[in-house]
Amino acid sequence: MATRNLRADSATYTFADRLLDDLDRGLPKGQIPAALFGNADIYEREMRRIFGRCWVFMAHDSELPKPGSFVRRNIGQDSFIVVRDSDGRIRVLLNACRHRGVQICRTDSGEARGFLCPYHGWSYNNKGELLGAPLWQKAFGEMSRESNGLIAAAQVESYRGLIFATLDPTAPPLKEYLGGMCWYLDLIFALNEHGVEVIAPPQRIVLNANWKSAAENFAGDDYHLGTLHRAALEMGAFPVPFEANMNGFHIQAAPGHSLSLSVATSDDEPGPKFFGYPEQIAASFNASLISQQQLQVARRARVAVGNVFPNFSLLASPHTDDPNSPPTGMLSIRMWQPYGPGKIEVWNWFCAYRNMSQTQKARLYRAALGSFSIGGNFEQDDTEPWSSIQQTGRSAAAEILELKLNYQMGLPGIGIAKRVHDWPGPGVVYSPRYEEGVQRNLYRFYGDMMRSEPATWPKPATE
Amino acid sequence: MEHPKAPEASADHPRALYDEVLAWMYREAELLDDLREREWLETMVAPDIVYQMPIRQTVKRASGRGFLVNAYHLDESYGSLLSRIKRTETEFAWSEDPPSPSRHFVSNVRLCGTREVDIEVKSNLLLFRSRGDHPEPTLLAAERQDTLSRIGGTLRLKRRLVLIDITVLETHNLSVIF
Repeated sequence: MATRNLRADSATYTFADRLLDDLDRGLPKGQIPAALFGNADIYEREMRRIFGRCWVFMAHDSELPKPGSFVRRNIGQDSFIVVRDSDGRIRVLLNACRHRGVQICRTDSGEARGFLCPYHGWSYNNKGELLGAPLWQKAFGEMSRESNGLIAAAQVESYRGLIFATLDPTAPPLKEYLGGMCWYLDLIFALNEHGVEVIAPPQRIVLNANWKSAAENFAGDDYHLGTLHRAALEMGAFPVPFEANMNGFHIQAAPGHSLSLSVATSDDEPGPKFFGYPEQIAASFNASLISQQQLQVARRARVAVGNVFPNFSLLASPHTDDPNSPPTGMLSIRMWQPYGPGKIEVWNWFCAYRNMSQTQKARLYRAALGSFSIGGNFEQDDTEPWSSIQQTGRSAAAEILELKLNYQMGLPGIGIAKRVHDWPGPGVVYSPRYEEGVQRNLYRFYGDMMRSEPATWPKPATE
Repeated sequence: MEHPKAPEASADHPRALYDEVLAWMYREAELLDDLREREWLETMVAPDIVYQMPIRQTVKRASGRGFLVNAYHLDESYGSLLSRIKRTETEFAWSEDPPSPSRHFVSNVRLCGTREVDIEVKSNLLLFRSRGDHPEPTLLAAERQDTLSRIGGTLRLKRRLVLIDITVLETHNLSVIF
């Protein structure tokens, strides 16, 4: 594990350094300093060490159907153009003209053969190559166009249609970064040869929250269902009672990446199969892209909720917008884009299997929107605690009084969760879900990345 | 693709009808601001209501206003609206308990088209909301395109399209009727 060798009494030892040392020391005991959720210096460092280095979700393949298709997306708080160029290749280009840094992509999405800067007219094709500018010969003469193209993200790769990018040329390839999480993404994104598509462009909402509160919630927080979402449960919006829903598996799939699965114990157990998708669609799920073992786990799965570090989450689950309509399987993917230490911009997409009928897609969209969106019967309550966590994180009192938050559930002697050894997939697995190791996994990798020097990647370590 | 444009506002309506619709709009705003949402649903909403707030994107001027079809922030039926209201009647509707003080400012009410049975109305809405002890309120502006049906003598909301004037919503939740 790479560490900074700063003595605590050195002149350059900042409060942020101390917080990270507190995290390093406290995490094995389940303690996390509250100031991580609001401190401005920590945030600035995250922009460089987390969002500037890790693989960040940019778009789904289905959002860029043709050469020239583009969407405008962010890495950290920085605008990028995600475009399928004229040759069909996906590019992630910093949305800044090379002349003065003006944003050249000024609409949210569309199709373009290129981009024109409104300031002095520098013109680029959709590969990011500089084509020219007005009165070129008089203005620029022999200046090289080749070295004045749009700056690209260091690496762009996709897994099962999910397009990621990183600004770090030394980052390991995407599949290696995802590690065991690939096996679990397969349970959702590779259930048949048709694959998944985004139904519509995303909702975008800005909320008061630190991005880590949202990421850790989706990394496997089931324990909040009975309290925070009690209104939705009492309304019949979710088919499984709270205590029964705590049965299941918490999976640290790879360093930083965690998920939580609710799974039937046998094929005959009554209840949803394949996340509650309609039988017609479930009948199309097969092992053409995955193993029989993966298909078996997916068949028995009811809910999968997970987070790919740093901030890409997914939820596959049966839900409904209206208790008069039965719950149906839905899939939401979202990005908790940081917008300051105490704000996030939530990007929320709903996805369907490509072989679903229009009616099924419309029903899925309605059920998902009614449950997991800013107005949804589940999600609207999530924002409530997150908004005050970031306030606590910024608090001078929390700093002075050294407030440590409790992430102890599932440590030896704390709760009934036990390590599972006969699980067919990768990672470290606990059951039932009364544990917070899935969150500690996120923070362990977070701490490692925050303390790693450029060009060194942390070596995996587990609890 | 854009939502179809609403019919043009027309001055060709009896004054009495205009006054009736205006009074209806003000009563609706009063019920919603006074936390009387169940009364609003039961007395002012049609059982086959379609209530939608499409997602808005930033698009070139030549492409229109940027409202998407088939992509929504809200897409509600009577059943889903009722279930929202029932939520707030439990003790666990944390996002709206304590409630967010709100005020609906309704203006620019225009009757459109020529139909007598289903009346088409456009109006502007400025919605002010605050939360807890945060001094900064949320202000959201929108055009509402409504269809009011006369059912058993009273006007009821049969269709509402809420066209918001922002692409990225900054709000703690959308647990509010626009």
